[in-house]
Amino acid sequence: MFRHLFKLIWNKRKHNVLFLSEILVSFLVIFAISSMLVYYYLNYRKPAGFQYEKVWAIGYSNPLKTKDKDTLSAFYDQVKSTLNAVPEIKEVSFSSYNFPYANSNSTTGFEYNGKKYNQVNFYQVDENYDKALSAKVVEGRWFKKEDRVMKNNFTVINTTLKEAIFGSQSAIGKLVGDDKAKIIGVIEDIKTGGDFYPAGYGGYKMLDSASFEWIGTILIQVTDNADAAFESRLSKLLARTIPNSNIAISHLTDLRDSKNSNTVIPVVIASIIAGFLIINVALGLFGVLWYNINQRRGEIGLRRAIGASGNSVAAQLVTESLLLASLSLIVGSFFAIQFPLLNVFDVPSAVYFIALLLSVLFIYILVILCSLYPGRQAAAIHPAIALHEE
Amino acid sequence: MIRLQNIEKVYRTDTVETLAINDISLDIAKGEFLSIMGPSGCGKSTLLNIMGLLDEPSRGSIRIDDQDTSRFNDQQLAKFRNQKLGFIFQSYHLINDLQVLDNVELPLLYRTSSAKERRELATEALVKVGLSNRLKHFPTQLSGGQRQRVAIARAIVGRPQIILADEPTGNLDSAMGNEIMEILINLNKNDGTTIIMVTHDENMAHKTHRLVRLFDGSHVQ
Repeated sequence: MFRHLFKLIWNKRKHNVLFLSEILVSFLVIFAISSMLVYYYLNYRKPAGFQYEKVWAIGYSNPLKTKDKDTLSAFYDQVKSTLNAVPEIKEVSFSSYNFPYANSNSTTGFEYNGKKYNQVNFYQVDENYDKALSAKVVEGRWFKKEDRVMKNNFTVINTTLKEAIFGSQSAIGKLVGDDKAKIIGVIEDIKTGGDFYPAGYGGYKMLDSASFEWIGTILIQVTDNADAAFESRLSKLLARTIPNSNIAISHLTDLRDSKNSNTVIPVVIASIIAGFLIINVALGLFGVLWYNINQRRGEIGLRRAIGASGNSVAAQLVTESLLLASLSLIVGSFFAIQFPLLNVFDVPSAVYFIALLLSVLFIYILVILCSLYPGRQAAAIHPAIALHEE
Repeated sequence: MIRLQNIEKVYRTDTVETLAINDISLDIAKGEFLSIMGPSGCGKSTLLNIMGLLDEPSRGSIRIDDQDTSRFNDQQLAKFRNQKLGFIFQSYHLINDLQVLDNVELPLLYRTSSAKERRELATEALVKVGLSNRLKHFPTQLSGGQRQRVAIARAIVGRPQIILADEPTGNLDSAMGNEIMEILINLNKNDGTTIIMVTHDENMAHKTHRLVRLFDGSHVQ
């Protein structure tokens, strides 16, 4: 029967162009949306890699006119000590502008053993950064204050970068980057771009004294007692401690929500548009199948006369639709498979393969749903009447 | 072979009730070639549809091959039609998107038979109707007479005991009509197939064993 139906479909392929095109377009749209959703979902499932609650980011502008490193260092060490003395503040850390959930990033690239590693997020932080974010060092150690003084060219990398370069081998002591920085530690991935984006490659360097001239962020971890009143007091304290500076305090929880919204809202809009498209396609499929059945009343009557039951007529029509859909899916899959093969958008292949499977499944379910009712209607065609109409 | 008892068929709409068959009883013996005649609208095709289990009578009973078909469900009716009955229609009812051989194979698709077996039986049936050289043609490439031969091959491919033919020569000229009639007579004579044929043609009807005339849904002769 399968061979018979395939032959029938193949011989009627010109009549089925509309159906085939609708399925192909729907498949490609669903594949695009599901690739996006799978990508975001797989990232969402991964841990944030740090504690963002009770962490505040203090933005400031450097008011000091001097370029003298020692003066700068002494001034900001004093700021840090002042903040550390506040009972509601547990940890204080200076950071470059690209702290977690900030709208800044700094990337670099380097070669290691002949292989290029691009888009490496580069963070400049101090010795308290891991504590301020409750980040976990999984291998080696985090920076110490002495690392700044000794002018050592040390670096800490994240797990993703470590696995990409060294696999299961230890990274400690290896030299990476154009400046041959020595790896002293590996830190757990920190998803700085929000819950829906991967940590990517990450490399951390210790702030040196000169960095105080341009950095402008202090990350503080506060206690549970830190409320709005405290924030107000903190703001005043900062105004006194760093005079003539523009101070802005933001909570990492708020920044995270904002980052996540920036991802979720376009996805929701795209899904709504795709949803409307799918509804239209479903109605179109329904109409095409309905029309086909009306055009084939004589054939349906004949099949009933020569031995087809109502159920087998319905099953035949659903199977025909599924076979037709399969033809479109073969063409669609050919295009879809190019994405993982060509590593489009630098997204892991697994994302595309899962999206491909989901899209195929979705299309089959859609086709079954759209052909069930016309199939039942075909089964209800009275053979004597259908044969007489011809 | 076929026993119709007090068959009545009424078509009802909201406002009109039409009596298509009025209390017809008929016995058709195994191996008989029976023709049914009558003016248009007298219920010939309706009676044939009822005998072919394509339509249900409003009243009365049908026994075919000693089986009471009124108790059959849709599945059983389909199986019974497939194994016991063959249909030939005035307008052939061939599927234009399938080749001749595939059209003839159709009834066998609803049985458990292998592709090879289906092909052999279909080829054999087409040889029987003289179309062994048209296996790969599409129906649209054939003449009316050839199409009707394909329809006959499709009707006999499953070796049914009964063939129901609704004006099989109605769309053909007399020469082609005679050819088709010859094939039916040979099937009846050589294979012992019971044939019930609806026709408007007196000449064709007189070639059969028995003629039943209907008028306004009643059996008049």
